[in-house]
Parts: sequence; C-alpha cells; structure tokens
Amino acid sequence: MFTHIFFNRLKCLLRDKMTIFWTMVFPLLLATFYQLAFSNLTANEKFQPVNIAVVDDENWDKNENFRQVLKDVSTAEDNLFNLQVISYDEAEKLLQNNKISGYIIVDEPIKLVVSKSDINQSIVKSFIDIYMQNYSAFDRILSENPAMLKQLTNNTGKRQTFVYETAFPGGKPNFVVNYFYSLIAMACFYGGFLGMREINEIQANISSVAARVNVAPVHKMKAFLSSSAASLLVQYCEMLILLSYMTFILGVSFGNKFGYILITTLIGSIAGLSFGAFISALAKKTEGVKSAILILTTMVCSFLSGMMQQSIKYSISRNVPFLSWINPLNLLTDSFYCLYYYDTLSRYAINIVVIIAFILIFSTTTYFILRRRKYASL
Amino acid sequence: MIIGVNNLVKRYGELLAVDHLSFSVKEGEIFGLLGPNGSGKTTVINCILSLLDYDKGEIEIFGKVMSPDAYHIKRDIGIVMQNIAVYNELTVYGNIDYFCGLYINDKALRKKLVEEAIEFTGLSEFTKFYPKKLSGGLLRRLNIACGIAHKPKLIILDEPTVAVDPQSRNKILERIRKLNEQGSTVVYTSHYMEEVEQICTRIMILDRGKAIATGTKDELKAMISLGEKITVESFAITKQQLSDLRKLPGIVSVDYRENKLVIKSGKGKNNLESVLEFFKREKIQFGKIFSELPTLNDVFLEITGKELRD
Ligand SMILES: Nc1ncnc2c1ncn2[C@@H]1O[C@H](COP(=O)(O)OP(=O)(O)O)[C@@H](O)[C@H]1O
Ligand SMILES: [Mg+2]
Repeated sequence: MFTHIFFNRLKCLLRDKMTIFWTMVFPLLLATFYQLAFSNLTANEKFQPVNIAVVDDENWDKNENFRQVLKDVSTAEDNLFNLQVISYDEAEKLLQNNKISGYIIVDEPIKLVVSKSDINQSIVKSFIDIYMQNYSAFDRILSENPAMLKQLTNNTGKRQTFVYETAFPGGKPNFVVNYFYSLIAMACFYGGFLGMREINEIQANISSVAARVNVAPVHKMKAFLSSSAASLLVQYCEMLILLSYMTFILGVSFGNKFGYILITTLIGSIAGLSFGAFISALAKKTEGVKSAILILTTMVCSFLSGMMQQSIKYSISRNVPFLSWINPLNLLTDSFYCLYYYDTLSRYAINIVVIIAFILIFSTTTYFILRRRKYASL
Repeated sequence: MIIGVNNLVKRYGELLAVDHLSFSVKEGEIFGLLGPNGSGKTTVINCILSLLDYDKGEIEIFGKVMSPDAYHIKRDIGIVMQNIAVYNELTVYGNIDYFCGLYINDKALRKKLVEEAIEFTGLSEFTKFYPKKLSGGLLRRLNIACGIAHKPKLIILDEPTVAVDPQSRNKILERIRKLNEQGSTVVYTSHYMEEVEQICTRIMILDRGKAIATGTKDELKAMISLGEKITVESFAITKQQLSDLRKLPGIVSVDYRENKLVIKSGKGKNNLESVLEFFKREKIQFGKIFSELPTLNDVFLEITGKELRD
C-alpha cells in the first residue's frame, strides 16, 4: 500500500506544473537574479581592506577583548580593516572627508558612526554585530554557568583567540552568501505548497478525491504519510538541485561541512512541508486564500531574515531578538550562515533545535486536525 | 440485509437535512433514492459511508456497524460520488489503477480488474488521456470506473449521470444494470424519475430529508388515487360541458387551459372510453388525444403538492 500510494503520488507531483514552478523554478530564477545583481560584488574577489577608525578613549583601553579581536582582523594575514586609533575629532573629520567608511566608539553597546550606506559600511556593521552576538553569548554562558569561568580563566591566554576564531574561521567573510541562504530558506518554505496539497487531498471536506480515499479501506494516517513521503522526496530533490545550481553554477560558497548542509536542507524541507500542511489544516479557507497566506507569510519571514536587505536580519537580532527566534526562515538562514562562518556548531545546534521544535508544533497540530475521522459538513 | 439505516438524523446547524430516516437495502436490489435537489440524498449517502458525522441513528452495512475504520466493510463497497473525483495528473488508466489499488494489492489481479473496468465503461480508446482532455460524459464514465473497478459487493452511485448527454446516460444505466446482474447490490440516487423508474427495483422517494414513500414503482403508483391521465389537445368546449365532464364517474379532476384539457381519473377501467363517449355525445371536435399511466412525478406531486422537477 505504501509503495502504491507513494509512487502514484510521485507521478502526480512531477506533473503538477504549478507546484513545481513555485517550489523549484521560482527559487532558481531568483537565485539567478541575485547572482546578476551581486555579480559586481562577488567578482570583487580581491577584498579591499576597509578604512576605519576607532576612537581612542578610556573604554577602548579597557576593552581588551574587543581591542584584540579588532587588531587581529586588521593584521596583514586577514586584513579586513585598515585600522586607525585616533581621537574623536580626528575620526569625525576623516569621516567627513570620506577618508574612512566609519568609526567605532567603544561603549556599551559598541557604536558605529557612518555617513552613508554602502557595502563597506555594512561590512563594518556586520563585523560589530557578529562580535556582539558572540560576546554576549559568551557573557551569558559565563553568568549562567559560573563553573565555566574557572575553566576559562585557566586558559585566559586562549580566550581571545577563541572568540576570534569563532567569528571568522574561513578568513575573508563573504557578505553576499547570506542572501542566497535566505533564498534557500524561502525555497524550503515554498515546499509548503506540497504540504498543502497533501492536506487538501486527504481531507474529505476539502476535495472529492480525498473523500474517495477516505471511503477506501486504507488507514487515513498511513495514506497521508505515504503520500507526504513522496512530497518530501520531491521537495528535497528540488532543494538539492537548487543547492547544486548555487554551488556549481553560481559559485556560491557554503563552507565545507557538506554533511551538515545536506541535513540542514532536509530539515528545512521538512519544516516547509509541515508548515504548509499546518496552514492548510488550520485555515478553513479556499485553496486560493491558503496559497496566499502561505506566500505572504513566507515572503514576510524571508524579508525579516534578510533576503532583500541583509541589515534587516541584524537589526532584528539586535533589537527584537524574540522575532528572530520565532521566524523559522531566519533560523534556517542562520543555520547555513553558521555552517559557513563558524568552526563550532553550538549556535548552529541551537537553531536546528528550535526549527525542530517548530516542525513538532506544525505536525502535531496537523495530526490532531487530521485525526478527525468524520466531518460535520462536506 | 446489505444496508440498514435506522432513525437517522443529520443537521447542518439549523437545517434538518435528514429527518428520522429509516430504510434498508436488500441483497441484489437496485435501490433508488429519488428526490429533488436538496432533498438530502447526498447527505444520506455520506452518512452511510461514515464521511459525515450525524446527530442520531444507527447505520449497519453487511450486518455490521459502519464506522470510519471499518475497513472490512469498506473493502466491499464501491462509491461513485456526485462530484468527479479523479487526479488531473494521472491518466484514465492511472486513475482507475490508483483507486483500484487502494482495495486490491495483488498486481496481476488489479491489472485484470482495471482492464475490465475500462472495457466495461467503454474507455478503451482513452486510457492514455488525462482527465482535462475528456468530455463531460467520458469524465463521468471515468468517475464510475474508478468507483467500481474492484468489483465490490455494494455499489453506491450518487447522481452519476448529472450533465451527461442522453446517449451516454443510457449506456451508463445499462452498465449499472449489468453490474447488478453480475451480483452487486446497487444504491442509486437521482433527481431524474425516468432513470430511477428505468433501472431501480425498489425506490424511496425523499423530500426534505424525509422518506415520503418506499416501494417498487408499481407499488408507489398504486399508493396514489390517480389511475390515468388523459390529455386532449386543440378543441373548444363550453363551461357547461366541462362541468358535465367533471361529473362523469371515475373522473377526479378536469383542467382546461390554452386549448388543452387534462383529465385525471381514478383507478379503474374504461376511463378513456367513457371520456370518448362523452365527446361523441356532445359532438365535441378534438385533435390529439392520449392517455398516460401515472409517473413517479405524479406520485411526488400527489404526496407533496409540488413537482419533482426543478
Ligand atoms: N455542507 C453543508 N452545509 C450546510 N448545508 C448543507 C451542506 N450540504 C448540504 N446542505 C443542505 O442540506 C440539504 C440536503 O443537501 P444534499 O444532501 O446535498 O441534497 P441532494 O443530494 O438531495 O441534492 C440541502 O438543503 C442543502 O442545502
Ligand atoms: Mg446530491
């Protein structure tokens, strides 16, 4: 029975042009479009160090940690920044004369002063964001688990190196990849169209084929799972096509943790499918309205995870961190980003755990709605 | 007994769609559920199939209580829903095979059954077609094939001929009778009395969720007072003659409108003869004259006071 439903479902899905368009062709087109839009940025493979300044004051002197990290990324080896340590007035003057892209005031939190918005400026901003995120995580761990303090103080010498390595293990950061990562997250969630179809075709009060399946001597949950397995396979293959296209044709870098990338994509696909099923089971609306809800939520979540403007992702995680935790697309984007940027997997693991929690919420809700065996009205 | 429905009540909010309905279907019957649109036929069928939740009543199929997970019962039922239920991405063959496969695991047997169903519904030339390319009549036939390919003991068809041309309709009716001859018990719903009269061995007339009469077509016709309906066309008649005509023995009603006279008489013989004699006596000229036996529409009309047709 499983194979019968599974293979017939595969046939159906592969012929469903509308769904294939949204779940595969559309993301491929968007990726191509991104590549065209960013080509002058990525072509600039030879990274020009960004001219910045830091205000030489008491705080700068005190914050040994930040000083070390900033100096490390401005050395010949990494050469992210051309750093000058100068007074506030001098920095302001240099900025006005466009000699530097911005200057940093070490404060709580660390401030960045810029005059215009461009790629260099966002590099500095991203650097500070990343630093702050890691640093606050570090702080939190210490306050929650004072036992670690001892362990860490024993290794004070290594401490800065640790923070630094966590931040930029792969050397030069690539500020374009995040756009592609959030695009993958979006594509995963467009897989919701498949989940939606699964629900529509198992709920007798939605479609007449579902009514036919419901009167057949087949366990409803088994039928649903068999055909959802086909949907997942289709969705995962589409995602692999998208990943391959990005990697081999567009040359987008994903770092080198290939196994994790494949797993993340799979988890993303499951999250997307279960999200579509969830929306479809929950909203007692027409198929058109459900599709609209799906597209709209995915678009908004993509936007908030920085698909159109990367800085949005950072400003949300800085100012409304709650929002970035309840946005599964952001978590997914961030997971890919973690795999690319970080050596350690701790932040990645937290993201994945939260995504799995989302999957559980989506699928248990769906299960309880599906479990209804009779309908009040058809 | 194949189906037993006892005291079934189904409400949609305020609307009482099925009103304390009881009936049974015996083995070998073609049981007709006749009623105008909205009389509750589909609702009854969906309750029987355990698709719909109902407010009250008991339903048994093959002598066992029907429930959503009564797979041993479901295995022997074939359903042709009122709405076309096929996958647009599967061919004619693919669709029949898919639905048959939900009942039959054995591949070789399934192949044989699917081919028989294709043959049976006359879809042989269209096996590779996708549903979107089929005409309305062919689509209905595919819908039927999907429901009956597994050769069930009980076949339920809910208005399978809606929007089908007369020729296809006759073929479908013929085939349903054939399925019945091959041993299936059939439940057939329709709002076309001609169809029901043509194939059903027993009929239940439904109105507003209530059974207003049940029996064979002859039994149903025997229930009403009307015995014969005589229609006379294009002639002239005086008021006096009309009232005399009304007084003739056996005449129930006389209706004269636009040169057309409709005389309804009760049961009994020689009604037409006495009308003709009256015309001769009164020297009334007339054009066409014909006499009809009552139809199920007359049965419906007499019991409910309204026409069966919409
Ligand atoms: N899902 C529903 N919600 C509310 N009322 C319904 C629903 N389905 C049917 N009805 C009403 O129930 C009555 C019986 O409908 P139905 O069983 O479809 O009749 P039939 O099949 O004889 O045309 C009608 O008055 C119809 O309007
Ligand atoms: Mg109906």
